[in-house]
Amino acid sequence: MTAGFLLLIGGLVFLSGSALFAFYWSVKDGQLDNLGEAAKTIFDDGEPIGAATDKFPSRK
Amino acid sequence: MNPHSLFSSFNPANEPDTLASHERAEIDASTRLPVLLFFGSAILWLLIGSLLGLISAWKMTHPGFLDQMAWLTFGRLRPAHLNTVIYGWASAAGIGVGLWLMARLCRIPLIHSKLLISAAIFWNLGVFVGVLGILAGDSRSIEWLEFPGYATPILFIAYAFIGIWAIIMFRFRKPGHVYVSQWYLFAAFLWFPWLYATANILLIWQPIQGSAQGAVNWWFAHNVLGLWFTPIGLASAYYMIPKVIGRPIHSYYLSILGFWSLALFYSWNGMHHLIGGPFPAWMVSASVVASIMMFIPVVTVAINHHMTMRGHFDALKWSPTLRFTVFGAMTYTLVSLQGSSMAIPSLNTLTHFTDYTIGHAHLGLYGFFSMMMFGAMYYIVPRLTGWEWPSAAAIRWHFWLVASGIILMVGSLSLGGVLQGLALYDPQVSFRSSLDYATPFRLARGVSGFLLLAGHLVFAIHFAVMLLKIGRRREGPALFAEPSNPGAATV
Repeated sequence: MTAGFLLLIGGLVFLSGSALFAFYWSVKDGQLDNLGEAAKTIFDDGEPIGAATDKFPSRK
Repeated sequence: MNPHSLFSSFNPANEPDTLASHERAEIDASTRLPVLLFFGSAILWLLIGSLLGLISAWKMTHPGFLDQMAWLTFGRLRPAHLNTVIYGWASAAGIGVGLWLMARLCRIPLIHSKLLISAAIFWNLGVFVGVLGILAGDSRSIEWLEFPGYATPILFIAYAFIGIWAIIMFRFRKPGHVYVSQWYLFAAFLWFPWLYATANILLIWQPIQGSAQGAVNWWFAHNVLGLWFTPIGLASAYYMIPKVIGRPIHSYYLSILGFWSLALFYSWNGMHHLIGGPFPAWMVSASVVASIMMFIPVVTVAINHHMTMRGHFDALKWSPTLRFTVFGAMTYTLVSLQGSSMAIPSLNTLTHFTDYTIGHAHLGLYGFFSMMMFGAMYYIVPRLTGWEWPSAAAIRWHFWLVASGIILMVGSLSLGGVLQGLALYDPQVSFRSSLDYATPFRLARGVSGFLLLAGHLVFAIHFAVMLLKIGRRREGPALFAEPSNPGAATV
């Protein structure tokens, strides 16, 4: 039982620790520096902002 | 290169938009086999799972229905339904969507697809063995972990493969910003194998004693929703909504805040299932507080999705992806705020142990997550097969059948649950009579099961027809053209 609880607590520390580390990395790496531009990264020249990319199949 | 240079006019293949489209088409094509394997098997499990659920629901009002054989009794069918839809359908669909999104967001073609194909095979084998085990009477009677001990290692191997693959993909991604969807996916892919392993070790291989088992059980079961399904669903929404309407997320700042607050608060939530149980008060209290704190990530997502959609709601008429995704996103807000309210102890005493909780669970896993997955599949599959969905009518039938089905189901279970809870409060009403309050609503729930199963059948047939490439070929790698005549689509 003690081993079980240790595993659970250890797991919680690991879960929180991994999240904290990822947050630390994201700040250090400059991921949070320019959030306005970051939102546009899923668009490119082929599918630019303003172009819709889905519709119901057309009937022929 | 200047896009308007003389050279580019002679050689349009070097145009930036053409290059980007080809690169995207190449990435999509690289994900074809693993993603379609996960999607195809997920849809098969969805059909089996809905049938098992429908029979279980019918047994609630007709106890004599199919009670002649042990494997068809409620005690086996109901966990078989739960595990089929959780692991066979929802998880597999989520993995498929996750793989495709990872490849797109890492901006590289999918590598090590054999690892993923093995994962898909192990995954389905695990679910198959597990469901058969439950029907054979080997259920472990731990909610969300009913699969017998001989099935779980198979599933774990599949999870581990996917986790390892996610790390490799992330390592080799093209430099640049890590989009919010990728944060969500990465969290899901890494946290889940660990959640699953811990719960199995503490409950099955080296079981801890007494009521602590309940704590581990609900810590696990709630985190499956919060750290596995929720991040995948939101990753999909954060990609699909902006992409479909061609408008960046309203506030990227809020989306990052939402991700990190989810990571911070969600893993504390599970103990709110144990309000009133034999547990240290601090555990339950901390969980109630964390459940209320969930308002922060939920409201950030709600504001963001609504404000991104503002002025574009007509897109729901012409985009199947958006229609399902926005239904899912709205339901996410609703089900999350409902969940937070159900953690308030005074309300919890009314709703706990009634059908209200069952309604809440279906609203989350179906109204939110499954609808998100349908939406994502409508977007992804044509890009993998190079063919358009054959029938707009089939998509509409699918949407309206499942949307009305889930609304009827959650509505009836919630109302019936509250009446049942009030009857349980009343010392004048016997326990037996308290169930009578729920019966008509359970009948309505049974009817909703028919609607959902019918919707799934339409979807499954449509998907199969698409794989057989009946219908029209898609036009070029740039895929769908801009809706030239959106008004032509009827609701």
